[in-house]
Amino acid sequence: MSNTVTWARVKSPWVLHFNSGACNGCDIEVVAALTPKYDVERFGIKLEPSPRHADVLLVTGCVTQQCAERLKRIYDQMPQPKFVVAIGACACSGGVFAGNYNVVGGADKVVPVTAYIPGCPPRPEALIDGVVKLLNALSPPKPKKKPKQEKPAEVPKEEAKTPEAPKPETPASQEAKPKVEEAKVDAK
Amino acid sequence: MPNSNVDIINVIESKLKNKVQIQPGQLGKAAIVATDGLHRDVMKAMVDADEYTAISAITGLDLGANLGVLYHVRTSNSFVTIRAEVPKDNPKIQTIIDIAPSATFHELEVTDLFGVVFEGNPLAGHFVLSEYWPQGVYPLRKDVKANEVKLNPPPAEDTKQPETGRVVKIILGPQHPALLEPEKFAVTVDGETVTKVEPRIGYVHRGIEKAAESRTYLQDVYLIERICGICNPIHACNFVEGVEKVLKTEVPTRAKYLRVIALELNRLHSHLLTLGHAGLEIGYETLFQYFWRDREPIMDLIELTSGNRVYSSLMTVGGVRRDIRDSDVPKIKTTLVDLRKKLPFYRKVYEEEPSIRARMQNVGVLKREDALKLGVVGPVARGSGVNIDVRKDEPYEAYAEIPFKEIVYTAGDTWARMNVRMDEVEESINIIEYALDHLPTGPFRVKAPRIVPAGEACNRVEAPRGELFCYVKSNGTAFPERVKVRTPTYANIPAFLKTAIGESIADVPPNFVSLDPCFSCTDR
Repeated sequence: MSNTVTWARVKSPWVLHFNSGACNGCDIEVVAALTPKYDVERFGIKLEPSPRHADVLLVTGCVTQQCAERLKRIYDQMPQPKFVVAIGACACSGGVFAGNYNVVGGADKVVPVTAYIPGCPPRPEALIDGVVKLLNALSPPKPKKKPKQEKPAEVPKEEAKTPEAPKPETPASQEAKPKVEEAKVDAK
Repeated sequence: MPNSNVDIINVIESKLKNKVQIQPGQLGKAAIVATDGLHRDVMKAMVDADEYTAISAITGLDLGANLGVLYHVRTSNSFVTIRAEVPKDNPKIQTIIDIAPSATFHELEVTDLFGVVFEGNPLAGHFVLSEYWPQGVYPLRKDVKANEVKLNPPPAEDTKQPETGRVVKIILGPQHPALLEPEKFAVTVDGETVTKVEPRIGYVHRGIEKAAESRTYLQDVYLIERICGICNPIHACNFVEGVEKVLKTEVPTRAKYLRVIALELNRLHSHLLTLGHAGLEIGYETLFQYFWRDREPIMDLIELTSGNRVYSSLMTVGGVRRDIRDSDVPKIKTTLVDLRKKLPFYRKVYEEEPSIRARMQNVGVLKREDALKLGVVGPVARGSGVNIDVRKDEPYEAYAEIPFKEIVYTAGDTWARMNVRMDEVEESINIIEYALDHLPTGPFRVKAPRIVPAGEACNRVEAPRGELFCYVKSNGTAFPERVKVRTPTYANIPAFLKTAIGESIADVPPNFVSLDPCFSCTDR
């Protein structure tokens, strides 16, 4: 049963996007990744407005004082197991705004972060790459021994650091596709 | 440009002879030093003489023993600044919202950040800062260290009972499916009719104005660019123009044309984004996907000409950082021609599609006189028949040499505001094509000194969302003394508060998105 759940989760992660005080740069790139050119919906990734239905929380922005409390609350509302992806230099560390009077600086100061996607803003290609890496980490290795109870394999807390933004000549989909194939194999 | 030949300086001189000191040529057309509450009289004289008079921004300044309050006023054909001062130990000044309602939110911001009390402004409480911000600490005063402020602990859980009955308060935000950004609007509804809207901004307040004071001018270009990820080149352009005014640096003509190309490409992508977003808000997702599909080639052009999709840091003091290659010009032109071919389809959708007409026409009607009174800017003003456009009124860069139409619709509803943007997409294409055809030769950058002499300047540009204002004060070092940015959405929020009332709650999203709200701009 838990295998099926993990399989479904990896196949179709529902993401919730929360802007914790971002400049809109990352947010627009997140939306751009959902629209025809990049179209992550073909990988089963769906933007979900309610935290209660979401598997992955995409946090953008440097986390302002007002948003910190909200971010925590939204994280608490999400069902287990849940993962947080920090998108952009601000969500990773506070970025250019670190040290300002109204800025907490970095999503990991408020909620546990599973993957970091740096960039100002990260290109949609980098976003896809980051999420695919997260999915790879989620999909369990071939189940020889029984997985522990309900929970899927533990997520390694290593940084899913994306390489530098790919050159404009290489189309995103081509780069991202083989990795998704891998995820598929693993998931089976 | 508004057809008016009122000379506002003459009006002030004749009405307030010898009472105020006029400093011509400073901070716009002139700066008017008004002490002892005379700022109200100056404002009144201006409002009576010119219907276009509105507060563009109010800048707070820390002058040591005193706090300066600068009222930047826009009239039909000029831009003037009223200087007032209040002592720091008793920072009280009379409000001007009864004369110019457009000042309401600007006063609140100065209260929050500088602690100037505007006597008579009924709104109270934090507007930009957190609810838990300590009393008596005003972050933009010089004695406050940016990273040493300790916030009050949050109060215990709110145990308020949910409201029952006919009148219900609906909270939109800070995390809301219809808003991409965290901002809160408490909408009170009676049945389905909106009776009151209370905004609470500041969720994206990052303290950029304070941070700018501890960075050099060159570093500030990168910081101020990051006010907004959608309209970033215009923010950078506005700031560097302000610095260039203080430096008295003349930018080469080629740089001016290159800046225009970058700004118009940015306007194209911003308008396409909004036109699509409006489709999403009325449940017309196909239109949203179509517009965003056609926006991507523009993003590619931005990358081609400036080096990056979003933050390219193209603008710099003294010009731009990179040139356009001649070999890229045909590519730019073909992409623009392709986009132009698609426009008739979109126009047809906006004009003939019944669902769009039903959801947008006669929704959120902002009358011309209200638009003038509230001091709205950009496509929101032009959709209500107010013909203001900084590119025409006070041409900057190469706009004086480039022919283009100022788009004005008179209906004042959501549909008119979206159509202004639709027409401006076409105008932007024309501007870019003209600029590419008439691109002058020569250098694209001059070397500018890093130390800026003491002085101050205001600058205005037309962002995709409307008039963007910036004030730069230098104290003769490598770091600015004060940078103030007033963004277009800040001026346009009152329009939403006004038009939402009396309409159905279901009309709130299309009405709201027709302002093209950008809160990262608003809060800074």
